[in-house]
Amino acid sequence: MTPALGRALILLALLLSTVGSTVAFASGRRPTAAGLRWTRRFAYAFAAAIAAANAVMLYALLAHDFSVSYVAHVGSRAVPTWVSFVSLWSSLEGSILFWGLVLGAYVAAATWALRDDHPEYMPYATGVWLATAAFFCFLLAGPAQPFATQSPVPADGPGPNPLLQNHVLMAIHPPCLYLGYVGMTIPFGLACAALLAGRLGHGFLRPLRTWLLLPWIFLTMAVVLGGWWAYEVLGWGGYWAWDPVENASLLPWLTATAALHSALLSERKGVLKGWTVTLVLGSFLLTILGTFMTRSGVFNSVHSFTQSAIGPTILAFLAAATIFSVLLLALRIDRLAPEGQLVNGPGRDALFLLNNLVFVLFTFTVLIGTVFPLVVEAVNGAQMSVGRPYFDRMAVPLGAALLFLMGVGPALPWGRATSEQVRRALLPPTGAGLGLAGLGFLLGARSPWTLLTLFFGGYTAYVTFVELWLPVRQRMRSGEGIVEAFAEAQLRRGRRRFGGYVVHAGATIVIVSIAVSSTMGVSKEVQLREGERFDLGAYSLTFVKAESVAEPHRNAVVARVGVSRNGRELGEMTPRMNQYDSQREPIGTPAVRTFLTEDLYLSVMNIDPERGTLGLLAMINPMVGWIWIATGIMALGGVIALVPQRTAAASRPAPLAVPAASGAAAEGSR
Amino acid sequence: MNRRVLVAGALVVLPLLAVLVMNLGRDPHSIRSPLIGRPAPPFELRPVGGGGPRSLASLRGKPVVLNFWATWCMPCLEEHAALTAGARRYEPGVQFLGIVYDDEEARATSFLKQRGSSYPSLMDEGGRTAIVYGVAGVPETYFIDASGKVVSKYAGPLSPEVLAALVREAGGAS
Repeated sequence: MTPALGRALILLALLLSTVGSTVAFASGRRPTAAGLRWTRRFAYAFAAAIAAANAVMLYALLAHDFSVSYVAHVGSRAVPTWVSFVSLWSSLEGSILFWGLVLGAYVAAATWALRDDHPEYMPYATGVWLATAAFFCFLLAGPAQPFATQSPVPADGPGPNPLLQNHVLMAIHPPCLYLGYVGMTIPFGLACAALLAGRLGHGFLRPLRTWLLLPWIFLTMAVVLGGWWAYEVLGWGGYWAWDPVENASLLPWLTATAALHSALLSERKGVLKGWTVTLVLGSFLLTILGTFMTRSGVFNSVHSFTQSAIGPTILAFLAAATIFSVLLLALRIDRLAPEGQLVNGPGRDALFLLNNLVFVLFTFTVLIGTVFPLVVEAVNGAQMSVGRPYFDRMAVPLGAALLFLMGVGPALPWGRATSEQVRRALLPPTGAGLGLAGLGFLLGARSPWTLLTLFFGGYTAYVTFVELWLPVRQRMRSGEGIVEAFAEAQLRRGRRRFGGYVVHAGATIVIVSIAVSSTMGVSKEVQLREGERFDLGAYSLTFVKAESVAEPHRNAVVARVGVSRNGRELGEMTPRMNQYDSQREPIGTPAVRTFLTEDLYLSVMNIDPERGTLGLLAMINPMVGWIWIATGIMALGGVIALVPQRTAAASRPAPLAVPAASGAAAEGSR
Repeated sequence: MNRRVLVAGALVVLPLLAVLVMNLGRDPHSIRSPLIGRPAPPFELRPVGGGGPRSLASLRGKPVVLNFWATWCMPCLEEHAALTAGARRYEPGVQFLGIVYDDEEARATSFLKQRGSSYPSLMDEGGRTAIVYGVAGVPETYFIDASGKVVSKYAGPLSPEVLAALVREAGGAS
C-alpha cells in the first residue's frame, strides 16, 4: 500500500515536471498571460507532488514500514528517532528523493518570489528548472527507486551506515549541502533564460545574484560543516583531506563565489555579462559532477554511496546539460552586449578581474587534481592518488592570493586610480599586516607561507574594518549617533555592501585560521598504562581508566582521561572506540575541548580495558574553533546581503563613476 | 555562433566527459596487484577439518577462485552465500578455494558447519600464503586462470554479479 502510494506520487511528479517544462518552453517562445499562469501552476504542482512523496517516505521510516524497500534497507527499530528521520537522506535512493524535495521547495519559492516580474525570462527559467526536476523524478521512477515493494516484509532492518549515526552534525551537514547543491539549479535556470531570451538586462541581474547568493550561503556552511564533522568524528585531527567528494563540494563553491563577484560588476557597470552567465552555468554543472562523483562508484571516498546503476544515468544527464550549456553559450553569448566598459589600469575593476581569474584557476587546480588519477588509470592502468602534497602546494598560494586581493581590491577606488591614490589607499593597511605577522612570529610562526598569510590577513582585516566603518563615520560627522548612523548606513541603505564586507571579514578569519592551524599545531603519540600521566604544552593528561560500555546498537571502549591546564583541573575527556555490530573495523570517536585560541584533541589509537593500556594521539590545534565561528560570520554576512532593501535605488542603474572610497554613496556595491 | 566560445567549451568539457565515461565501469574495489599477469604463488595447505594437503599446482588446467576470509570479518559473512552458490554453479569447471586468514581452526570449522560450504577452505599457518599474495585485509579474492596466472584481485565482499563477471574474465564459462 505505502510503496504503491509513493510510486504513484513520483510518477505524478514526473508527469507534472515533464508537461510543465514543455508548456514553459512553449510559452517562452510565444508569451501569453495564460501560458505564464499555467507554467507557474505546473511548478507549484510538481513541488507539491514531490513533497507528498517525501512525506510518505518519512512516515514509512518513522512507522518502520518495512514493506518499502528503502526502509527495509536503511531502517531499524533499534535506532533513535532522529536517526530514523535522517535516514531519509542517508542512503542513495532516499538522498535522491530528498533532492527532489529540496528542488521542489526552491522551484516553488523562486516561482512565487518572481511571479510578477520578468515575464520575458521566467517561462524559460521555469522550463529549465522543471526539466532538471523531470530528470530527478526519472531517477526515482527507474534507476534509484525508493518505493519498491519489499517482499517478504522483514521484521527489522539493519539501520543506516554507523558512521552517519556517530555525530549529530550528520543531521545538519547533508541537508545544508543539498540546499547548496540543489539551489544552484535556480540561478542556472535564470542564466539559461537570459541566454535563451538573448538578453540580460540590468533588472534581471538582481534576481540572478539573489538566487545565487542563497545556495552559496548553504554551500559555504556545508563545505565547512563537512570539515567539522570529519574533525569531530574521524579522529585523525584534521578537517580537510582533499578527498574527491570534499573537492566536489568545493568546486561549485569556487565558481559560485567568482560568479557573485562578476555579477556585481555586471550589475554595476553592465560588463562581463557572458562571463557571469558562464560561471553560473559552470557552478550548476559542477554540482551535477559532484553528484556523479558521490554516486557512481567511480571515485573511492569515505563519502561514496554504495555502488549503483545510476552512475551512467547521471553521467548522461551531466553530458547533456554540459553540451546544452556550451552550445547555448556559443549561440547566444554575443547577444549579451556590454552596456559599459571596464577600466584598464590599476583600480578596483582590474582587481575584480584578477579575483575571478584566481577563483577559476583554483577551480581548475582542484578539478585536475581530482580527475587526474582517473586519467592515469584509463591510460596506463596504474592506480595512483594525487594526494595532499599537490593540493596543498597549489591551494596555499592561491588562498593567500585571494586573501591579498580581498584586501587590495576594496581599498582601491573604482575605475582607474592615480598612483597617488594607489599609494594613499595601499600604504596604511601595511602597518596592520606587519603587526599581525609580527605577532605571529612572536607566538612561534616560522613558516614563510604562514607569516605571509598573517601579513595579508592583517592587511585585509584593516581594509575590511575601514570599509565597514567609513559609512557610519560619515553619518556620525553629520551629527547622528553611532547606533542610528550604523542602522541607516549599513542596514537600511548599504545592506548588500555591508553584508559583503561581513563575508570578507569572516573569510579573512577562516583563511588565517587554516594557515595557523595547519602549521602551528603540536601533536604527540603516547602509550599509557592506567594512572600514567604525560604533558603536552600547557596541558597535563592522566589516563584514569578504560571502560567498556554496551549500548543498544554498538559496544564501546571509553578512555577516561583527566585533563589539567597550567595546573588547573578541567575534568575528564573521554575519547572512545566504537564497535558497531555491522562493521568489522572499530570506529574511534575523538574528544575535543575547545578553548578561545586552541583545541585540545584526543583520539584513541588502541585501547585494551583488560590490560589497562591506551595508545593516545593528543594534539593541540590552534585556532581551529575560529574556522567554525568565522564560517558562521560568512553565512551571516550572506544573509544580511540577501535581505531585500526597501529603497528604490536598486531598480535604476548605478552611476558609472563613483568617487574613490566614498563608501556610503556606493549604494549596492560591496 | 561564437566559435571561440564553442572551441574553448569543447576543449574543457569533452576531455572531462571522456575520462568519466572511460571510468564508468570501474570499481574502486578491484585493486591492481603486482601479481596480476604473473603466475600465482604456489602453496600447499591443510584443509579445515582435516585431510591431506591441497596444492595450487594440482589444480593447473582449471580456473581457480581463491578467497581469503575469516570468521571475525562481517563482510566475509556477507559474501559467503554468493561464494557458496558460485562454487556450485561453476562446478566442476572452476575450483573455489578458501584460505582462512588469521583465525582459529575451531572457529572456522563451526562457521562452515553453521553456514554451509561447497568448497574446501585451507588453514594458512602463520599467514605465510597471505603475505606472499599481499593480502591487505579480508575479504580479498584472487582469480587465477587455467594456466595458473593471476587475472584479477578483488577487495571487499563479492556480489553474485561481480563474481560472475570476474570468473568469466578468468576463463571460467558458466
